[in-house]
Amino acid sequence: MTTAETTAGATLPAPAASEPSRWKKIKEGLSFFSRSKVALAGLILVGFWVLIALFADNCLITPRCYVGMVQGDDITQWATSEEYQSWLSRYSPVEQFRGRNREGPSADHWLGTDTRGRDIWARLAHGSRSILTLAPISVIVALIVGGTLGLAAGYFGGLIDEVMMRILDAIISFPQILLYLVIIAALGASATNVVLAITIAGAPGIARLVRGLALDIKTRDYIAAAQTRGESPWYIMFVEILPNARGPIIIDSMLRMGYAVFSIGTLGFLGLGLPPPSPDWGSIVQAGRSAIQAGRPWEALWGSIAIAMVVVGLNLIADGLAEESQRYR
Amino acid sequence: MNRELEKQQQPVVTVEDLGIAYETRAGDIHAVRDVSFEIYRGETLGIVGESGCGKSTVAFGMVNYLGRNGKIAKGNIYFQGQSLVGRTPEELRTLRGDQIAMVYQDPMTSLNPVLRIGAQMMEVLTVHRGVSKEEARERCIEMLGKVNMPDPDRVMERYPHQISGGQQQRVIIATAMLNNPALLIMDEPTTALDVTVEAAVLDLVDNLRREFDTAIMFISHNLGVVARVCDRVAVMYAGEVVELAPVRDIFANPQHPYTQGLIRCVPKIGRSKSSSVLYPIRGRVPSPKNLPPGCVFEPRCDYAREACRTQKITFRPIEQNHSVRCLFAEEIDPAAWTPSEDLMPQTLQAIPAEEREPILQVDSLKTYYKHASSSPLSLIGLGPKEYVKAVDDVSFTAMKSLTLGVVGESGCGKSTLIKTIIGLEDVTGGKVDFMGFDLKGSVNTRDMSTIRELQMVFQNPNATMNPSYSVGNQLERPLRRFKVVPKNQIRSEVIRLLRAVKLDEYYYNRLPNQLSGGEKQRIGIARAFAGRPDLVLCDEPVSALDVSVQAAVLNLLSEIQQEYGTTMMFIAHDLSVVRFFSDYIAVMYLGKIVEIGPAEAIYAPPYHPYTESLLAAVPIPDPTIQQEHVRLSGNVPSPLNPPSGCRFHTRCPRRHLLPNDGKICETEEPPLRDAGDYHQIYCHIPLEQLREFEPVFEVPAEGR
Repeated sequence: MTTAETTAGATLPAPAASEPSRWKKIKEGLSFFSRSKVALAGLILVGFWVLIALFADNCLITPRCYVGMVQGDDITQWATSEEYQSWLSRYSPVEQFRGRNREGPSADHWLGTDTRGRDIWARLAHGSRSILTLAPISVIVALIVGGTLGLAAGYFGGLIDEVMMRILDAIISFPQILLYLVIIAALGASATNVVLAITIAGAPGIARLVRGLALDIKTRDYIAAAQTRGESPWYIMFVEILPNARGPIIIDSMLRMGYAVFSIGTLGFLGLGLPPPSPDWGSIVQAGRSAIQAGRPWEALWGSIAIAMVVVGLNLIADGLAEESQRYR
Repeated sequence: MNRELEKQQQPVVTVEDLGIAYETRAGDIHAVRDVSFEIYRGETLGIVGESGCGKSTVAFGMVNYLGRNGKIAKGNIYFQGQSLVGRTPEELRTLRGDQIAMVYQDPMTSLNPVLRIGAQMMEVLTVHRGVSKEEARERCIEMLGKVNMPDPDRVMERYPHQISGGQQQRVIIATAMLNNPALLIMDEPTTALDVTVEAAVLDLVDNLRREFDTAIMFISHNLGVVARVCDRVAVMYAGEVVELAPVRDIFANPQHPYTQGLIRCVPKIGRSKSSSVLYPIRGRVPSPKNLPPGCVFEPRCDYAREACRTQKITFRPIEQNHSVRCLFAEEIDPAAWTPSEDLMPQTLQAIPAEEREPILQVDSLKTYYKHASSSPLSLIGLGPKEYVKAVDDVSFTAMKSLTLGVVGESGCGKSTLIKTIIGLEDVTGGKVDFMGFDLKGSVNTRDMSTIRELQMVFQNPNATMNPSYSVGNQLERPLRRFKVVPKNQIRSEVIRLLRAVKLDEYYYNRLPNQLSGGEKQRIGIARAFAGRPDLVLCDEPVSALDVSVQAAVLNLLSEIQQEYGTTMMFIAHDLSVVRFFSDYIAVMYLGKIVEIGPAEAIYAPPYHPYTESLLAAVPIPDPTIQQEHVRLSGNVPSPLNPPSGCRFHTRCPRRHLLPNDGKICETEEPPLRDAGDYHQIYCHIPLEQLREFEPVFEVPAEGR
């Protein structure tokens, strides 16, 4: 049977009855980076640190490393254990080289050494791990909290919207850094609390964005169609509205991820990040700060560059995504 | 226009073999090819065709407004004897001067919302012509008077949002006419307007052409509109002009199979689905990226032969003033045309009057929206409560297995009425009785069986489907939700539904952005019918579709209705479509039903004066039909504060028939006049007098 609307000329090919394969989806995703130069630059910057984080040592293939991480052991226990092997980091992040403190870059120590004679490259390589896990986790948690609040506010409207948004406005009215300080100071410095602080500071912004999108999308006919099927509000919010808001949300989270890296760096710098001797990027900059005037800017410089690379990279990816999504609008 | 006259006169604009291409990453896309025509002074050339046929591209090409990636690839445009192609923007400006003006579709976006109307209009004269402010003001007021703008002095001081859409379009036309242009290009100038306003704007266009002797290029997708204002018509298809002829010839003696097809798929005014059929053109307009090798229309043409597939067809004259792009135009006899088998609609059986039973009884239904008053007290909830009376005291009965059409201008409460019935809006007062159930409250308070019986088809094909899910996924959902079939049969049921709306199985995995507007609307219909409802409410289901697709969707709806015996409520602003599709029609004005009755009774006297004005405004795609000239003045009043008595009294053209110039209309609600056979008119004018009205138009004899 031919349809009433087959295309003129060549009829549309009848595709196979299966969903597009996973490989095809991955390929489509990759082709985005080849189309957008900006996003490709971003991917290279971020991808560099992702690779380093994955292959800094043999953690990836050693089960005990994971067990240690889950139990919350500090890096010393793992980095001094029998099984530890340096891969891309070249040295252990806690190994102190006697008599080689505060050296400049050399063939032995590519980026030099810090006050205690530890290899800066090794510390940066290991430090990328915490920052590259904490930043996405905190953004995802903020996304879940903020997204749900925003969807509910946008979809229900009225009093719910009014009350929720005023509370969130109140949170936004505090300077973010102040919020971080208050939360960390009250709860203590730990990975969980860093995530918590970033969630509380970030969720209101996400809620506002999602609310705006929900307000727009809920006027579409397919929402009315779902309502006339008697669907529950939660079904409509999460199944009908949320998937159509994903474009702006993804772009926004990329930017937020950059801010989160920045915030984690700031917290580390203020001494509110991960407790020492963790190779936290922020604390590396902080430790190196005092040496700048002594004519040894290496430690602070390398730490700052590492943070900047990830932040700029994530922002470039976000720019590329935004550009791409506008092209097809 | 005869030949001698043509020779004396030089055309205002001549387009020769115009080709327009857009540069894309995948190479040039030739959106317009081999377009040739000329427009003389005082002549209106209509350009019709479905969307995506390059109508607007031609217009933009003429004013060199093609965007960064557009270019004129071929041919030439001569404006008053001088070529416009290949010149720099500065040269163009001096050549063209202010001699070409353009009017766009949406009046709201063509006016600057932060400037007063006067300032915007005067700018045209003061900036481009160096006219003094006082003189400019005078000329603007004079021009506003010429476009029949009431109270031009005061309008000059207003902002665009303070005047209605029709008035905005008048302001734009007045602005365009200020420089007395030699060529006026109008791109769908009435598409965004109501029929009554459209009629007035079309009258205006016609008057201006006569008065100023301007050449007008009038682009429209609506054959009726073109029939009313144009002298000659160019039919465009897939970027080519396929037929160019005087307007009467186009409608009486179309030579190109596409023109014939277009005319066949528009419902004739006064015809119903039981007495006539619509023949959609099969297939759809090819994308300019993927054109057929021979004749562009060949894949959809019923007369296609081998020769059509291999060669490009030239545009050739077949009679004086009548050119066509078809090899076999002379051999094709439209009268001998028979629809191909798959287009043959089923014969519809009418349900005899005595077997009709009510399924939905609406009794003085009211839907009010709360409106925050401007009083500062309302900020703290103490201000006077104001209500927008969107639906006010509406009563009617819908008969089982039949269609009730609802017509009226925008803002008269049609959509609110059906949204209230289906439960998307809360009932403020009155009663809705559906098969013995009392429908009240919103959807979430109703039980599943009631929800299942009431479904809706929406207007906008692009918003009717969730863009994130595949077709199959979206059709499965109502099946699961209403437990129509056991779980293991859901897939086969979806495929059955797809087939019922004439789509193939492979649409199952398609995403909405891979579908055309018509296909999306079909899926929307399939989704509404998935739960096998008893009552389907259609909110302008075809008004966003091209005519050929519209015909197919209308046929489909009536076929499905016939099969399931579904009752339908059908909203449309196109009176020909409503007449074609409905058994009963309700005419609404400002939240009230002013007339209701069997479809055939609505279109002939006696009728309510409002119905009469609506009918007089319908653009009829047949220039031979003479329509009575009744035009409504003013706008629909605000439903926030509707007029007292009869709500139509502020605009009623028949009020003077009553003693004391219709004093009674202002004070008393109109009584119900029963014309028999469930035909009710709410009017103060006695039935006998209503019967004496001249019919607005003679309905042509039945037959194809």
